[in-house]
Amino acid sequence: MSDTVETATAAPGTPPEKTPAPAGALERLRRPRTYLWLVGSVLLLAFPFYLDRFWLQAGLFAMAAAIGAIGINLLTGATGQLSMGHAFFLAVGAYSYCVLAGESSTENGHALTGLGLPTWLAAILAVLLAGVAGGVFSPIAGRLRGAYLGIATLALIFIGQHVLFNAGSLTGGFNGRPVPPLSVFGFTFDDTEVLVAAVPFQSSEKLWYVALLALLLSGLFARGVLRGRPGRALNAIRDHRIAAGVMGVPVARYRAGVFVLSSMYAGLAGVLLALVFQRTVPEYFGMILSLEYLAMIVIGGLGSVAGAVVGAAFVSLMPQVLTHYSDSLPLVSAPGTGGLAPGEASRYLYGAAVVAVVLFLPGGLTRLKKPGEKK
Amino acid sequence: MRTAPATTAPTTAPAALAVRDVTVRFAGLTALDAVSFTVEPGSVHAVIGPNGAGKSTCFNVLSGVYRATSGTVHLGDTELTGRAPHRIAALGVARTFQNLALPPHATVAESMLLGRHRLTRSGFVSTGLWLPSAAREARRHLQRVREIAEFIGLEKELDHPAGALPYGKQKLVELGRALCMEPQVLLLDEPVAGMTADERRRVAAVVAGVRDSLGISIVLVEHDMGVVMRLADAVTVLDFGRRIAGGTPAEVQNDPAVVRAYLGAQE
Ligand SMILES: Nc1ncnc2c1ncn2[C@@H]1O[C@H](COP(=O)(O)OP(=O)(O)O)[C@@H](O)[C@H]1O
Ligand SMILES: [Mg+2]
Repeated sequence: MSDTVETATAAPGTPPEKTPAPAGALERLRRPRTYLWLVGSVLLLAFPFYLDRFWLQAGLFAMAAAIGAIGINLLTGATGQLSMGHAFFLAVGAYSYCVLAGESSTENGHALTGLGLPTWLAAILAVLLAGVAGGVFSPIAGRLRGAYLGIATLALIFIGQHVLFNAGSLTGGFNGRPVPPLSVFGFTFDDTEVLVAAVPFQSSEKLWYVALLALLLSGLFARGVLRGRPGRALNAIRDHRIAAGVMGVPVARYRAGVFVLSSMYAGLAGVLLALVFQRTVPEYFGMILSLEYLAMIVIGGLGSVAGAVVGAAFVSLMPQVLTHYSDSLPLVSAPGTGGLAPGEASRYLYGAAVVAVVLFLPGGLTRLKKPGEKK
Repeated sequence: MRTAPATTAPTTAPAALAVRDVTVRFAGLTALDAVSFTVEPGSVHAVIGPNGAGKSTCFNVLSGVYRATSGTVHLGDTELTGRAPHRIAALGVARTFQNLALPPHATVAESMLLGRHRLTRSGFVSTGLWLPSAAREARRHLQRVREIAEFIGLEKELDHPAGALPYGKQKLVELGRALCMEPQVLLLDEPVAGMTADERRRVAAVVAGVRDSLGISIVLVEHDMGVVMRLADAVTVLDFGRRIAGGTPAEVQNDPAVVRAYLGAQE
């Protein structure tokens, strides 16, 4: 019985079995990390009251990307299975949500199919559908290792793009389709203004908390998996596949399993991105997006939740920062004025960041401080 | 020294490991040529021979890493040949690798916990949801890992990254990880190579202790003849993939074919 009590009180960040003597509350109060977390949490909760819409959008973006990055870090970082198909599963999540939650309608002469399910249910089903799509591909994902899987998943991108552009009644074709706003217990996360402490809340402000909660839960789930039995098995497959099998790890089953899990993370990220964008367009879910997710985990740090989050923040906030400060930055100018557009500039920048990290910081940004330590 | 094994009497009756006419060919090279031998339950069986004789290949067949071109391996009534490595592990066959196969970043404790994989159940859902059952399981098995680490003299290194330890200690971690599987059959590929005299004695004592108190069968590939002669109940000698002699250590030591193979292979 005492077990249960202990687990309930132990903070998730401090795995009880790794610290020789379980850290008490006092001990934790003395650690600077506790305060960093505290300040960070307060800031994250307060942002919607202070930041303008531009930065809220950027933050929402980063949070959704972080969830997707955690997913691909489970697969590529922790298991060593390369995937180029992450964007495909993001698309499955985003479009499934639209089809399941949207009403049948006609837009620009296109008939759009929609099931009109409650939006919260559609969001859950969309994540599950992304998992199912991963499951369909998992016999291949279980058999192929490392770079070979990367090549095979390229097929998903091509198939995905073809379907998105051509299955017009589901996807809306080139123009995409509108995203029905999320609604939970009668509360709708749309642009109708709600006053909270004299601050008008529109969709960005409201969605902020949805995204924050989703990110928190996804991060905790992944961390639990990584530091537990499945995580050890996945790392063993990455580090020494043959030894993993000999130790009793069913290698193909775990590869398939983590592929499905990673797809579901992508699906959730896709749903959130759709809600933030308020419109899904096929172009977005291309090869570049897959590469961006790989860049995130390389920059942030392979194989850990923190690495995925830091990398996602870096890669998705960079274009926004450059856009915002394009006036005061040399070479970078507003889009369409002839100079280097912020999007392009940021791509060069994180291209350079990837190379720099691979060369000088093999553990990624999150290993910056303590090179000797493990994740 | 003798404290660790207590909780783990093998649940199934000890079974003999029977290797029958096993042949392994790699593109023209015959690494094993119709090799047969039987490892009696609860004995230490040494497989010796010059470099390239096929000893590691034999281990790879026993553990399912390589497929035999022909021939069979049985553990009791169960056929091992044709099974995937994790299925063979599930039957209680554990091994160490001649060249280390440890994760580069994980601690000794985590490395050894991997050995508990087949004895534990927590999956993606229970660990992801931080269920108390998963935490309980982890704690229970970590306790057992500590006992085993103490048994082999690694208790102080449990929280160190395994990859940063000296070579001899890393070999000990591999042995510990294999013991963590609570095996019926333990395959040790050159377990004392690269170790200090102290560590060698430790491994020899562990091997003898494991056999005597647990009744585990041990197959031992080793070049250190002192260790082989002291520990082995039976010896099989391979040369160029063929079994050229077998018997008790004393019999084998005086076998002219063995003397010839070893003298011929002296560098
Ligand atoms: N995967 C493999 N592919 C090709 N040849 C191999 C392979 N594994 C082992 N061999 C060959 O089989 C022979 C026996 O090797 P091995 O079993 O490692 O010898 P030992 O462990 O007795 O020193 C050697 O000639 C080796 O080169
Ligand atoms: Mg060898």
